[in-house]
Amino acid sequence: MFTKFLALLKKDLLLEARSKTVLSSMLIYALLVLTIYGAALSQTADNFDILQVSSGLLWALIVFTSLIGLNKTFSHEGEAGALYALLLAPFEKSLVFLSKLCANFIFLVLLEVIVVPLFYFFFLQTSSLSVQSVLLILPLLLGNVGIAGVGTLLASITQRSKSGDILLAILLVPLIFPLLLACVSASAAVIIGSAELMEGFMRSCGIAFSYDAIMLAASYALYEFVLRP
Amino acid sequence: MKTKLLSSNKLVLAVVCIALLLILLDIFMAFFISPLVRGARLSEPVIIVGQMVANKLLFSQKIFYLHVPVALSSFIALLFTAVFSIRYLIKRDPLDDMRAYSCTEIALVFVLATMASGILWTRFEWGSWWVWEPRLTTYFILTLMVLAYFVLRLNIEDADREASFAAVFGILAFINVPISFFVTRIVPSSIHPVIFRTDSGLSSSMLIPFIAGMIGCLLLSFVLYKLRISLKKSDFELQQVKEEFESLYKKRLKEKRVVGDK
Repeated sequence: MFTKFLALLKKDLLLEARSKTVLSSMLIYALLVLTIYGAALSQTADNFDILQVSSGLLWALIVFTSLIGLNKTFSHEGEAGALYALLLAPFEKSLVFLSKLCANFIFLVLLEVIVVPLFYFFFLQTSSLSVQSVLLILPLLLGNVGIAGVGTLLASITQRSKSGDILLAILLVPLIFPLLLACVSASAAVIIGSAELMEGFMRSCGIAFSYDAIMLAASYALYEFVLRP
Repeated sequence: MKTKLLSSNKLVLAVVCIALLLILLDIFMAFFISPLVRGARLSEPVIIVGQMVANKLLFSQKIFYLHVPVALSSFIALLFTAVFSIRYLIKRDPLDDMRAYSCTEIALVFVLATMASGILWTRFEWGSWWVWEPRLTTYFILTLMVLAYFVLRLNIEDADREASFAAVFGILAFINVPISFFVTRIVPSSIHPVIFRTDSGLSSSMLIPFIAGMIGCLLLSFVLYKLRISLKKSDFELQQVKEEFESLYKKRLKEKRVVGDK
């Protein structure tokens, strides 16, 4: 079963490695959002503390960019009835859902590997970051798991709709909002790094983790009702 | 058929009257009988949007007698959406889908009423129309999800698919309801009053109007739900009659043509 899962995941990654459509469009979109941030922050005063808002800006960037990738989750499967073949193949449908989820998770991680340093390079070079900023990895990973989990389920719903792209945003953003709030507060804690905020860091990560657990369980229970031809 | 419709209409009318009477009783008692409440709901004076919220006799607390029953009704309507959605996914009965859809429509009415009354209170008590406070935020998200439910339904063409997708989303969205309900208890920064505490000890002059309002709102939502369901059922029947008529008409047209050719 695990080899079948790996084969499915390999198929998705290989398709992406050859076409590079998802990652390239996500990356360009992220660059555009960063440019917009540049304009939005261009008129701020000298004593403006960018650290206060940087965690929120970073997560806004991640949520918007994830929508681009999630929308393309099933874009390859439309060709030549690939989705039908995938669902007829002799393995459990849960593997299709899990492999898509993992692929989306990997795309998000790859994107952040490029975008988070870019964010630092553009906006945070002059500010003094706290030492704990390395811990940012934890909320980023927790956020990616939740976005990929709920997003994959919703993407399989919206791919059959009349207005797929915008519908995914309408459904996804309210659903992941608790996760977003937890991730923003956890990230703010490590970026600003004051002692009182650090207390909230573990609690926010705990909330994000329990959100991930509940939503992944719910998505896993419900995927079979949406993954049908 | 005609008598059945009439009697059910009479029943609906009676229940509507009871519900409205209970709500009116709630409002009357809240303003003329229930005592003013000392504003001791915050553990310490807090500055909210530049205003000190101090202990005082809170006339604005009167909102509690209507706002809370309406908000609870919206939660209960969404609970039924989730229940009927789960039942639909298990049994695949189109009637369950219809029920879940109607429950969400009722929930929308109550969610909007809660939002409207809550915003007025927020302006008066906290000095600002909107504060990004945990309870308000989670309830706002709930509003967006209820709206998204309808957007989803409008955007799927195939009827079976629409029903199962909406059921899946209805269940996922319901997960936010307990979060919104308990958030005033688990998040320490929440400044929204916590109700339903074991230590609150409402006096009977406060409890009676509240319970009257609660029963009134639940009856009202039940009646609205019943009306919506019967409307949808008749709509469904009308569609079937239309289709039947059309096929019959085509058949007759064909026969006529055959006769005409001869």
